[in-house]
Amino acid sequence: MSDHLSPALLNSLADGELTPDQRTTVDEHLTECPFCTSSALFQSLLKSATTKAGQRYVPPSQLLERLTLRVQEEGDPSRSAPRRMNLRPAKGLAFAGWVAAFALLLVFGSIVFVQRNSNRTAIVSSRYAGLVTEACDQHVATLASNSAPQVISSDRHTVKPWFQGKIPFSFNLPENLPDDTKLEGANLTYFGNQPAALLLYSIGKHRVSVFVRQRIGAGIPDDFSREHAGFHVIGFSTDELEAVAVSDVDPNRLSNLVGIIERSQAQASQSMK
Amino acid sequence: MPLLPSLYNVAFWLSRNATDAEDLVQETFLKALRGFGAFELGTNFRAWIFRILRNTYLASRTGLAARNTVGLEDELGDSSESGAALHPESAIDRQTPEMNLINLGDRAAVQAAMEKLPPPLLEVILLCDVEEMKYREIAVVLDIPIGTVMSRISRARAALREELQASIMLPREFRA
Repeated sequence: MSDHLSPALLNSLADGELTPDQRTTVDEHLTECPFCTSSALFQSLLKSATTKAGQRYVPPSQLLERLTLRVQEEGDPSRSAPRRMNLRPAKGLAFAGWVAAFALLLVFGSIVFVQRNSNRTAIVSSRYAGLVTEACDQHVATLASNSAPQVISSDRHTVKPWFQGKIPFSFNLPENLPDDTKLEGANLTYFGNQPAALLLYSIGKHRVSVFVRQRIGAGIPDDFSREHAGFHVIGFSTDELEAVAVSDVDPNRLSNLVGIIERSQAQASQSMK
Repeated sequence: MPLLPSLYNVAFWLSRNATDAEDLVQETFLKALRGFGAFELGTNFRAWIFRILRNTYLASRTGLAARNTVGLEDELGDSSESGAALHPESAIDRQTPEMNLINLGDRAAVQAAMEKLPPPLLEVILLCDVEEMKYREIAVVLDIPIGTVMSRISRARAALREELQASIMLPREFRA
Protein backbone atom coordinates (compact mmCIF):
# COMPACT_ATOMS: atom_id res chain seq x y z
CA MET A 1 0.00 0.00 0.00
CA SER A 2 1.96 2.96 -1.29
CA ASP A 3 -0.75 5.63 -1.05
CA HIS A 4 -2.31 6.94 2.11
CA LEU A 5 -5.07 5.00 3.84
CA SER A 6 -8.58 5.84 2.68
CA PRO A 7 -11.06 7.48 5.08
CA ALA A 8 -13.10 4.29 5.03
CA LEU A 9 -10.11 2.27 6.26
CA LEU A 10 -9.23 4.86 8.91
CA ASN A 11 -12.82 4.87 10.15
CA SER A 12 -13.00 1.10 10.10
CA LEU A 13 -9.79 1.02 12.11
CA ALA A 14 -11.24 3.40 14.72
CA ASP A 15 -14.49 1.43 14.79
CA GLY A 16 -12.81 -1.98 15.05
CA GLU A 17 -14.36 -3.09 11.76
CA LEU A 18 -11.26 -4.15 9.82
CA THR A 19 -10.90 -7.74 8.71
CA PRO A 20 -7.74 -9.50 9.93
CA ASP A 21 -6.13 -9.07 6.49
CA GLN A 22 -7.02 -5.39 6.35
CA ARG A 23 -5.73 -4.96 9.88
CA THR A 24 -2.36 -6.46 8.94
CA THR A 25 -2.05 -4.22 5.87
CA VAL A 26 -3.09 -1.13 7.80
CA ASP A 27 -0.69 -1.87 10.67
CA GLU A 28 2.17 -2.26 8.20
CA HIS A 29 1.31 1.02 6.54
CA LEU A 30 1.03 2.88 9.86
CA THR A 31 4.52 1.85 10.90
CA GLU A 32 5.88 3.69 7.86
CA CYS A 33 3.50 6.62 7.39
CA PRO A 34 3.39 9.39 10.00
CA PHE A 35 0.58 11.17 8.13
CA CYS A 36 -1.75 8.21 8.34
CA THR A 37 -0.68 7.51 11.93
CA SER A 38 -1.64 11.06 12.78
CA SER A 39 -4.96 10.69 10.94
CA ALA A 40 -5.68 7.36 12.61
CA LEU A 41 -4.95 8.87 16.00
CA PHE A 42 -7.25 11.77 15.28
CA GLN A 43 -10.08 9.51 14.08
CA SER A 44 -9.74 7.46 17.21
CA LEU A 45 -9.75 10.55 19.45
CA LEU A 46 -12.70 12.01 17.59
CA LYS A 47 -14.64 8.79 18.10
CA SER A 48 -13.81 8.84 21.78
CA ALA A 49 -14.87 12.50 22.03
CA THR A 50 -18.21 11.91 20.29
CA THR A 51 -18.83 8.84 22.44
CA LYS A 52 -18.52 10.98 25.55
CA ALA A 53 -20.29 14.03 24.16
CA GLY A 54 -23.12 11.95 22.73
CA GLN A 55 -24.11 10.54 26.12
CA ARG A 56 -25.92 13.71 26.93
CA TYR A 57 -29.58 13.20 27.83
CA VAL A 58 -30.91 11.24 30.80
CA PRO A 59 -34.54 10.12 30.87
CA PRO A 60 -36.61 11.89 33.53
CA SER A 61 -37.57 9.69 36.46
CA GLN A 62 -41.30 9.94 35.74
CA LEU A 63 -40.85 8.56 32.22
CA LEU A 64 -40.49 4.99 33.49
CA GLU A 65 -43.69 5.39 35.55
CA ARG A 66 -45.53 6.77 32.52
CA LEU A 67 -44.30 3.91 30.36
CA THR A 68 -45.34 1.30 32.89
CA LEU A 69 -48.78 2.88 33.15
CA ARG A 70 -49.19 2.97 29.37
CA VAL A 71 -48.15 -0.66 29.08
CA GLN A 72 -50.73 -1.60 31.70
CA GLU A 73 -53.36 0.42 29.83
CA GLU A 74 -52.44 -1.36 26.62
CA GLY A 75 -52.79 -4.68 28.35
CA ASP A 76 -56.05 -3.85 30.13
CA PRO A 77 -59.00 -3.78 27.71
CA SER A 78 -61.26 -2.08 30.25
CA ARG A 79 -59.09 1.05 29.95
CA SER A 80 -58.80 0.87 26.20
CA ALA A 81 -61.01 1.76 23.30
CA PRO A 82 -64.63 0.51 23.25
CA ARG A 83 -63.89 -1.81 20.33
CA ARG A 84 -62.22 -4.15 22.76
CA MET A 85 -65.17 -4.46 25.07
CA ASN A 86 -66.53 -7.48 23.25
CA LEU A 87 -63.29 -9.27 24.10
CA ARG A 88 -64.15 -9.24 27.80
CA PRO A 89 -64.15 -13.05 28.17
CA ALA A 90 -60.51 -13.05 27.05
CA LYS A 91 -59.48 -10.10 29.26
CA GLY A 92 -57.36 -12.20 31.62
CA LEU A 93 -55.59 -13.93 28.78
CA ALA A 94 -54.95 -10.71 26.91
CA PHE A 95 -53.48 -9.07 29.98
CA ALA A 96 -51.34 -12.12 30.66
CA GLY A 97 -50.15 -11.94 27.06
CA TRP A 98 -49.10 -8.33 27.42
CA VAL A 99 -47.35 -9.07 30.69
CA ALA A 100 -45.52 -11.98 29.06
CA ALA A 101 -44.49 -9.82 26.10
CA PHE A 102 -43.31 -7.07 28.42
CA ALA A 103 -41.36 -9.59 30.49
CA LEU A 104 -39.73 -10.95 27.34
CA LEU A 105 -38.89 -7.41 26.28
CA LEU A 106 -37.26 -6.82 29.66
CA VAL A 107 -35.30 -10.08 29.46
CA PHE A 108 -33.91 -9.26 26.02
CA GLY A 109 -33.24 -5.71 27.08
CA SER A 110 -31.45 -6.91 30.22
CA ILE A 111 -29.17 -9.16 28.19
CA VAL A 112 -28.25 -6.27 25.92
CA PHE A 113 -27.79 -3.99 28.93
CA VAL A 114 -25.43 -6.44 30.65
CA GLN A 115 -23.41 -6.86 27.47
CA ARG A 116 -23.11 -3.10 27.03
CA ASN A 117 -22.12 -2.64 30.67
CA SER A 118 -19.33 -5.16 30.34
CA ASN A 119 -18.17 -3.31 27.22
CA ARG A 120 -18.19 -0.01 29.12
CA THR A 121 -16.20 -1.58 31.97
CA ALA A 122 -13.63 -2.74 29.44
CA ILE A 123 -13.46 0.75 27.96
CA VAL A 124 -12.93 2.32 31.40
CA SER A 125 -10.22 -0.24 32.19
CA SER A 126 -8.46 0.47 28.92
CA ARG A 127 -8.68 4.21 29.62
CA TYR A 128 -6.87 3.73 32.95
CA ALA A 129 -4.34 1.42 31.33
CA GLY A 130 -3.69 4.10 28.70
CA LEU A 131 -3.20 6.77 31.37
CA VAL A 132 -0.77 4.60 33.31
CA THR A 133 1.26 3.82 30.21
CA GLU A 134 1.35 7.45 29.11
CA ALA A 135 2.30 8.65 32.60
CA CYS A 136 5.20 6.20 32.76
CA ASP A 137 6.32 7.00 29.21
CA GLN A 138 6.34 10.73 29.88
CA HIS A 139 8.07 10.21 33.23
CA VAL A 140 10.84 8.19 31.59
CA ALA A 141 11.13 10.69 28.73
CA THR A 142 11.46 13.56 31.22
CA LEU A 143 14.18 11.73 33.14
CA ALA A 144 15.98 10.79 29.93
CA SER A 145 15.94 14.28 28.46
CA ASN A 146 18.08 15.54 31.32
CA SER A 147 16.95 19.07 30.52
CA ALA A 148 15.92 21.61 33.12
CA PRO A 149 12.21 22.05 33.84
CA GLN A 150 10.46 24.79 31.87
CA VAL A 151 9.92 26.58 35.16
CA ILE A 152 12.41 26.02 37.93
CA SER A 153 10.98 26.17 41.39
CA SER A 154 12.37 28.54 43.94
CA ASP A 155 9.17 27.99 45.90
CA ARG A 156 5.54 27.16 45.14
CA HIS A 157 4.87 30.80 44.31
CA THR A 158 7.13 30.53 41.27
CA VAL A 159 5.55 27.47 39.74
CA LYS A 160 1.83 28.11 40.11
CA PRO A 161 1.79 31.61 38.54
CA TRP A 162 3.88 30.34 35.62
CA PHE A 163 0.89 28.32 34.43
CA GLN A 164 -1.43 31.33 34.27
CA GLY A 165 -2.73 31.65 30.73
CA LYS A 166 -1.04 28.40 29.70
CA ILE A 167 -3.63 25.93 30.95
CA PRO A 168 -7.41 26.36 31.21
CA PHE A 169 -7.56 25.63 34.96
CA SER A 170 -5.75 26.40 38.18
CA PHE A 171 -4.51 24.16 40.96
CA ASN A 172 -2.96 24.52 44.35
CA LEU A 173 0.49 23.47 45.51
CA PRO A 174 1.10 22.34 49.07
CA GLU A 175 3.13 24.64 51.31
CA ASN A 176 4.62 22.04 53.60
CA LEU A 177 6.34 18.99 52.19
CA PRO A 178 8.16 16.18 54.01
CA ASP A 179 11.84 16.88 54.78
CA ASP A 180 13.44 15.13 51.83
CA THR A 181 10.70 16.06 49.34
CA LYS A 182 11.15 19.03 47.05
CA LEU A 183 9.30 20.63 44.15
CA GLU A 184 12.00 20.91 41.47
CA GLY A 185 9.91 22.63 38.83
CA ALA A 186 7.24 22.01 36.27
CA ASN A 187 6.52 21.59 32.59
CA LEU A 188 3.53 22.30 30.43
CA THR A 189 2.49 19.07 28.74
CA TYR A 190 -0.37 17.15 27.19
CA PHE A 191 -1.64 14.19 29.16
CA GLY A 192 -4.39 12.01 27.72
CA ASN A 193 -4.82 14.62 24.99
CA GLN A 194 -5.53 17.31 27.57
CA PRO A 195 -3.35 20.27 28.51
CA ALA A 196 -1.76 19.40 31.82
CA ALA A 197 0.69 20.66 34.40
CA LEU A 198 3.57 18.25 34.92
CA LEU A 199 4.93 18.87 38.43
CA LEU A 200 8.41 17.54 39.00
CA TYR A 201 9.18 16.53 42.57
CA SER A 202 12.09 14.74 44.12
CA ILE A 203 11.88 12.46 47.13
CA GLY A 204 15.47 11.89 48.19
CA LYS A 205 17.18 10.87 44.97
CA HIS A 206 14.00 9.59 43.39
CA ARG A 207 12.13 11.69 40.87
CA VAL A 208 8.34 11.99 40.86
CA SER A 209 6.16 13.23 37.99
CA VAL A 210 2.70 14.48 38.89
CA PHE A 211 0.31 15.19 36.01
CA VAL A 212 -2.54 17.55 36.88
CA ARG A 213 -5.34 18.24 34.43
CA GLN A 214 -9.03 19.01 34.29
CA ARG A 215 -11.26 16.18 35.39
CA ILE A 216 -12.93 14.14 32.64
CA GLY A 217 -16.19 12.32 33.34
CA ALA A 218 -16.17 10.23 36.48
CA GLY A 219 -12.51 11.04 37.07
CA ILE A 220 -9.94 8.77 38.65
CA PRO A 221 -11.19 6.58 41.51
CA ASP A 222 -9.96 7.38 45.04
CA ASP A 223 -8.02 4.15 45.48
CA PHE A 224 -6.36 4.33 42.06
CA SER A 225 -3.01 2.57 42.29
CA ARG A 226 -1.15 0.62 39.63
CA GLU A 227 2.24 -0.90 38.95
CA HIS A 228 3.74 -0.51 35.50
CA ALA A 229 7.24 -1.37 34.29
CA GLY A 230 8.59 -1.10 37.83
CA PHE A 231 6.95 2.28 38.49
CA HIS A 232 4.23 3.00 41.02
CA VAL A 233 1.33 5.03 39.69
CA ILE A 234 -1.17 6.67 42.03
CA GLY A 235 -3.99 9.02 41.17
CA PHE A 236 -6.84 11.02 42.62
CA SER A 237 -9.69 13.28 41.52
CA THR A 238 -11.32 16.34 42.98
CA ASP A 239 -14.51 17.98 41.73
CA GLU A 240 -12.56 19.85 39.06
CA LEU A 241 -9.18 18.19 38.67
CA GLU A 242 -7.58 14.82 38.34
CA ALA A 243 -3.95 13.94 38.99
CA VAL A 244 -1.68 11.01 38.31
CA ALA A 245 1.71 10.59 40.02
CA VAL A 246 4.42 8.21 38.88
CA SER A 247 7.75 7.28 40.45
CA ASP A 248 9.97 4.40 41.44
CA VAL A 249 10.13 5.65 45.02
CA ASP A 250 8.67 3.61 47.86
CA PRO A 251 4.89 3.48 47.27
CA ASN A 252 4.10 4.68 50.81
CA ARG A 253 6.20 7.81 50.33
CA LEU A 254 4.65 8.43 46.91
CA SER A 255 1.21 7.94 48.41
CA ASN A 256 2.09 10.39 51.19
CA LEU A 257 3.09 13.07 48.66
CA VAL A 258 -0.03 12.47 46.56
CA GLY A 259 -2.16 12.74 49.69
CA ILE A 260 -0.57 16.09 50.56
CA ILE A 261 -1.20 17.42 47.03
CA GLU A 262 -4.79 16.16 47.11
CA ARG A 263 -5.48 17.80 50.48
CA SER A 264 -4.06 21.09 49.21
CA GLN A 265 -6.65 21.06 46.39
CA ALA A 266 -9.42 20.51 48.93
CA GLN A 267 -8.10 23.35 51.09
CA ALA A 268 -8.00 25.62 48.05
CA SER A 269 -11.61 24.86 47.11
CA GLN A 270 -12.75 25.36 50.74
CA SER A 271 -11.03 28.71 50.95
CA MET A 272 -12.81 29.78 47.73
CA LYS A 273 -16.30 28.91 49.14
CA MET B 1 -35.97 -0.58 32.17
CA PRO B 2 -32.88 -1.57 30.17
CA LEU B 3 -32.29 0.32 26.93
CA LEU B 4 -34.50 3.16 28.14
CA PRO B 5 -31.51 5.51 28.74
CA SER B 6 -30.04 4.68 25.32
CA LEU B 7 -33.34 5.06 23.48
CA TYR B 8 -34.12 8.32 25.27
CA ASN B 9 -30.67 9.77 24.59
CA VAL B 10 -30.89 9.03 20.86
CA ALA B 11 -34.52 10.20 20.75
CA PHE B 12 -33.56 13.51 22.36
CA TRP B 13 -30.66 14.05 19.96
CA LEU B 14 -32.94 13.42 16.99
CA SER B 15 -36.01 15.31 18.13
CA ARG B 16 -34.09 18.08 19.92
CA ASN B 17 -36.57 18.44 22.76
CA ALA B 18 -37.58 16.55 25.88
CA THR B 19 -41.31 16.28 25.22
CA ASP B 20 -40.87 14.83 21.74
CA ALA B 21 -38.15 12.50 23.02
CA GLU B 22 -40.44 11.14 25.74
CA ASP B 23 -43.28 10.63 23.26
CA LEU B 24 -40.92 8.96 20.85
CA VAL B 25 -39.63 6.52 23.45
CA GLN B 26 -43.12 5.75 24.70
CA GLU B 27 -44.36 5.11 21.18
CA THR B 28 -41.34 2.93 20.50
CA PHE B 29 -41.97 0.71 23.51
CA LEU B 30 -45.66 0.39 22.71
CA LYS B 31 -44.93 -0.51 19.10
CA ALA B 32 -42.32 -3.01 20.29
CA LEU B 33 -44.89 -4.64 22.57
CA ARG B 34 -47.57 -4.71 19.91
CA GLY B 35 -45.19 -6.06 17.32
CA PHE B 36 -43.23 -8.38 19.57
CA GLY B 37 -44.61 -11.37 17.72
CA ALA B 38 -42.78 -10.15 14.62
CA PHE B 39 -39.43 -10.20 16.39
CA GLU B 40 -37.45 -13.23 15.36
CA LEU B 41 -35.77 -14.95 18.27
CA GLY B 42 -32.05 -15.19 17.73
CA THR B 43 -31.85 -11.94 15.78
CA ASN B 44 -30.55 -8.66 17.14
CA PHE B 45 -33.03 -7.27 19.65
CA ARG B 46 -31.24 -3.94 20.12
CA ALA B 47 -31.11 -3.29 16.37
CA TRP B 48 -34.79 -4.23 16.15
CA ILE B 49 -35.97 -1.80 18.82
CA PHE B 50 -33.71 1.01 17.56
CA ARG B 51 -35.16 0.47 14.12
CA ILE B 52 -38.64 0.94 15.59
CA LEU B 53 -37.43 4.14 17.29
CA ARG B 54 -35.95 5.43 14.07
CA ASN B 55 -39.03 4.62 11.99
CA THR B 56 -41.23 6.25 14.61
CA TYR B 57 -39.00 9.32 14.50
CA LEU B 58 -39.16 9.47 10.69
CA ALA B 59 -42.95 9.39 10.86
CA SER B 60 -43.02 12.17 13.46
CA ARG B 61 -43.34 15.86 12.72
CA THR B 62 -39.63 16.59 13.29
CA GLY B 63 -38.63 13.45 11.42
CA LEU B 64 -40.72 14.36 8.41
CA ALA B 65 -39.24 17.85 8.39
CA ALA B 66 -35.73 16.41 8.52
CA ARG B 67 -36.52 13.95 5.73
CA ASN B 68 -37.84 16.69 3.53
CA THR B 69 -34.83 18.92 3.95
CA VAL B 70 -32.02 16.39 3.55
CA GLY B 71 -31.48 13.91 0.78
CA LEU B 72 -27.85 12.99 1.18
CA GLU B 73 -27.68 10.04 -1.13
CA ASP B 74 -29.51 11.84 -3.92
CA GLU B 75 -27.51 14.96 -3.39
CA LEU B 76 -24.09 13.34 -3.22
CA GLY B 77 -24.49 10.23 -5.32
CA ASP B 78 -23.59 8.33 -2.19
CA SER B 79 -25.03 4.87 -2.76
CA SER B 80 -22.04 2.72 -3.56
CA GLU B 81 -21.28 -0.42 -1.59
CA SER B 82 -17.70 0.72 -1.34
CA GLY B 83 -17.26 3.58 1.06
CA ALA B 84 -13.57 3.87 0.21
CA ALA B 85 -14.08 4.97 -3.36
CA LEU B 86 -16.29 7.86 -2.43
CA HIS B 87 -13.92 10.09 -0.60
CA PRO B 88 -11.07 12.14 -1.95
CA GLU B 89 -7.82 12.42 -0.08
CA SER B 90 -8.84 15.87 1.03
CA ALA B 91 -11.47 14.31 3.25
CA ILE B 92 -8.73 13.20 5.62
CA ASP B 93 -6.89 15.45 7.99
CA ARG B 94 -3.25 15.35 6.95
CA GLN B 95 -2.22 18.07 9.33
CA THR B 96 -0.69 17.71 12.70
CA PRO B 97 -3.52 16.91 15.11
CA GLU B 98 -2.51 19.27 17.93
CA MET B 99 -4.99 21.93 16.84
CA ASN B 100 -7.78 19.39 16.84
CA LEU B 101 -6.87 17.95 20.19
CA ILE B 102 -7.58 21.22 21.91
CA ASN B 103 -11.24 21.09 21.04
CA LEU B 104 -11.76 17.34 21.32
CA GLY B 105 -11.50 17.75 25.08
CA ASP B 106 -14.15 20.44 25.03
CA ARG B 107 -17.34 18.44 25.45
CA ALA B 108 -19.56 21.44 24.75
CA ALA B 109 -17.73 22.15 21.49
CA VAL B 110 -18.10 18.53 20.36
CA GLN B 111 -21.80 18.57 21.26
CA ALA B 112 -22.27 21.82 19.36
CA ALA B 113 -20.55 20.29 16.33
CA MET B 114 -22.78 17.21 16.58
CA GLU B 115 -25.88 19.42 16.74
CA LYS B 116 -24.92 20.90 13.40
CA LEU B 117 -24.81 17.53 11.65
CA PRO B 118 -27.73 16.82 9.31
CA PRO B 119 -29.99 14.08 10.76
CA PRO B 120 -28.72 11.21 8.54
CA LEU B 121 -25.16 11.91 9.66
CA LEU B 122 -26.07 12.52 13.28
CA GLU B 123 -27.99 9.25 13.60
CA VAL B 124 -25.15 7.21 12.14
CA ILE B 125 -22.67 8.80 14.57
CA LEU B 126 -25.01 8.21 17.50
CA LEU B 127 -25.44 4.55 16.61
CA CYS B 128 -21.76 3.98 15.84
CA ASP B 129 -20.02 6.00 18.55
CA VAL B 130 -22.54 6.38 21.35
CA GLU B 131 -24.42 3.08 21.02
CA GLU B 132 -21.26 1.30 19.86
CA MET B 133 -23.11 -0.66 17.20
CA LYS B 134 -21.27 -2.57 14.52
CA TYR B 135 -21.71 -1.44 10.91
CA ARG B 136 -23.86 -4.49 10.26
CA GLU B 137 -26.26 -3.53 13.08
CA ILE B 138 -26.41 0.08 11.90
CA ALA B 139 -27.26 -1.08 8.41
CA VAL B 140 -30.22 -3.02 9.88
CA VAL B 141 -31.43 -0.07 11.97
CA LEU B 142 -31.18 2.44 9.14
CA ASP B 143 -32.17 -0.04 6.43
CA ILE B 144 -29.25 0.93 4.19
CA PRO B 145 -26.27 -1.00 2.74
CA ILE B 146 -23.10 -1.29 4.83
CA GLY B 147 -21.23 0.73 2.20
CA THR B 148 -23.60 3.61 2.79
CA VAL B 149 -23.11 3.28 6.54
CA MET B 150 -19.35 3.59 5.99
CA SER B 151 -19.64 6.57 3.69
CA ARG B 152 -21.99 8.37 6.07
CA ILE B 153 -19.62 7.77 8.97
CA SER B 154 -16.74 9.18 6.91
CA ARG B 155 -18.81 12.17 5.93
CA ALA B 156 -20.05 12.75 9.48
CA ARG B 157 -16.55 12.68 10.94
CA ALA B 158 -15.21 14.97 8.23
CA ALA B 159 -18.02 17.41 9.04
CA LEU B 160 -17.32 17.18 12.76
CA ARG B 161 -13.64 17.83 12.18
CA GLU B 162 -14.33 20.87 10.04
CA GLU B 163 -16.78 22.25 12.58
CA LEU B 164 -14.35 21.71 15.46
CA GLN B 165 -11.54 23.35 13.54
CA ALA B 166 -13.79 26.30 12.73
CA SER B 167 -14.80 26.62 16.37
CA ILE B 168 -11.14 26.95 17.40
CA MET B 169 -10.97 30.11 15.36
CA LEU B 170 -13.94 31.61 17.18
CA PRO B 171 -14.07 32.48 20.86
CA ARG B 172 -16.77 30.52 22.72
CA GLU B 173 -19.14 33.51 23.00
CA PHE B 174 -19.26 33.84 19.22
CA ARG B 175 -20.00 30.19 18.52
CA ALA B 176 -23.41 29.34 17.18
